[in-house]
Amino acid sequence: MIATSHPPRRARDLRLDFFRGLALWFIFIDHVPDNAVSWITVRNYGFSDATEIFVFISGFAAMIAYAGVLDRQGWLMAAMRVLRRVWQLYVAHIMLFVAFTAQIAWISLRTNRQMFIEQMNLLGLVQEPTRAVLETALLRFRPANLDVLPLYIVVLASFALTLPALRRAPWLTLAGSALVYFVARRFGWNLAAFPEGKTWYFDPFMWQLAFYLGAAFAADGRVGERLRPYAKLLAPTAVVTLLIAGFIALSWEFNALGHMVPDWLGRLIYPIDKTTLDPLRLLHFLALAYLAQLLIRPDATFLRWPLASPLRRCGEHSLLVFCIGTFLSFSAHIALDAWGPTLTAQLLVSALGIGVLIAVAYIADWYKKKQAAA
Amino acid sequence: MSHRRGTDLRSTFVALALTSACAVFPAMAKERCGYLPGQLRLGAELPKARAAMNARKALEVVALGSSSTQGYGATSPFHSYPAELLRVLQESYPSIKVTVYNRGIGGQDVTQMLERLERDVFAEHPDLVVWQLGTNAALRSQNVAQFHRLLAGGIARMHAKGIEIVLMTPQYAPAFNALENEEDYLAAMREVAQETNVALFPRYEIMKFWFENERLPYARFINRDGLHLNDFGYTCIGRLLGEAIKRAIPR
Repeated sequence: MIATSHPPRRARDLRLDFFRGLALWFIFIDHVPDNAVSWITVRNYGFSDATEIFVFISGFAAMIAYAGVLDRQGWLMAAMRVLRRVWQLYVAHIMLFVAFTAQIAWISLRTNRQMFIEQMNLLGLVQEPTRAVLETALLRFRPANLDVLPLYIVVLASFALTLPALRRAPWLTLAGSALVYFVARRFGWNLAAFPEGKTWYFDPFMWQLAFYLGAAFAADGRVGERLRPYAKLLAPTAVVTLLIAGFIALSWEFNALGHMVPDWLGRLIYPIDKTTLDPLRLLHFLALAYLAQLLIRPDATFLRWPLASPLRRCGEHSLLVFCIGTFLSFSAHIALDAWGPTLTAQLLVSALGIGVLIAVAYIADWYKKKQAAA
Repeated sequence: MSHRRGTDLRSTFVALALTSACAVFPAMAKERCGYLPGQLRLGAELPKARAAMNARKALEVVALGSSSTQGYGATSPFHSYPAELLRVLQESYPSIKVTVYNRGIGGQDVTQMLERLERDVFAEHPDLVVWQLGTNAALRSQNVAQFHRLLAGGIARMHAKGIEIVLMTPQYAPAFNALENEEDYLAAMREVAQETNVALFPRYEIMKFWFENERLPYARFINRDGLHLNDFGYTCIGRLLGEAIKRAIPR
């Protein structure tokens, strides 16, 4: 358990980029309100959604990215690298805030209506502009749908401190993370937000566990192998978990199924809160992740198919794609509001949005390779 | 589940700043909010609200409640039911200065709400209180007789201050419907409303009508947590409540 002699793998695990790209596409699609295309995303078939995938993979990727620096250059340099990344995320968040808010301001001025400002949670900016600027810089004020990056920022900042512990004793560190999760749930800890009285949509004290699960698994580097002897037990358990969660999730969409969920089960599972990362969400995600790694090997050929490459490219440039996707989800919102939310319009804005995300990812990739070659 | 108290719950939706914004709601206007005709009859008139509107050209409403008043599960406070209630009342009474104070705090029920009556309700000197409760009492299996007694006591305290009341029943949601005795709390609220001659807004029955008669799936009006309303649910409840209150205010 202590002092792993297996350094995390150096070769890029294509599955990470593939699934992170998929999560980013899902986040974009799900952020467009009343979008029928959401039916292809994971959230309709269980408790967890793309957020868990994104945060878990972020933890996994962070461990892979910084463990090498830690080994070669020590904690101080590794921590500096992590903090440099935290700074990049912060800048990206502020840029996204400005662009996103500007878009809302544009439509509000154009239509001479304040509705979008209120709908997107920006009333604080109108009522207390001076305070709102300060609170924005402190990550406490943000429009709807801009909640993931602030979570990522604070959790990654904590990672600068916990990196050596994760490297030496990943499971002990994960136990600490789980302890924080349970204590925070018990006492209802959360960070304050603005306007007064609001708290963070993704409670960092609870959502950090999804990140540290990823980081600890990456630090151990052999979780898949360790679990292999128990596959006969774990695989069916995971399948049953997914089936039950899928049934419950579909019971919210189809009344016939809604009547079939027994009361005792309802009393057991509800409510399934997102802010506090309900254990059922985590359980559902772990079942999903377990089966995914069981079925898809790191060298699976389909990951190299041309069709998979747009997803992988998006996953490789996740920060950029995330920011553009969040911005575009509101553009799609405006478009659907103007044209009416017909199925054709929903398909069109979703396809256009994904198209832009792919284009952006390929341009970023092209530029990066050109620069590296020069 | 733990929702911390907060003051934006107490944020006030003051008429002036928002009036211009409330003129048109294309995205929402087309949403149909179903109900049975009788469900908008509150069972008691609201003459004091009328008197306040006549005398002061103003109507002050406090929305007292838990997370469903706060608007937990909505994408923004814009979609909470008190915000929608304010829009309906403003549109209907353009010459009256309507104010709706949101005093919802997640996780609370009658016991905690009674503790803050003075600070959160009486301090505002409202003409009307919409009191949403019962869900958390049922989720925590509060003794029904005690629930009944505390509710009646709260109503008596508000009546002593000359405040009119509309009670709002729990939501029709998977988490509430799965309880063993959720009907008991609904029955207690109906009984208290009758005994004290207080208006009752049957949120539970309206939402049940959506589910059973209009065959709307839960996902249409309930958040994915299985307990709270979503934007559509809150907006419709706010709008129907506004309609019901208008009908109960004598001309």
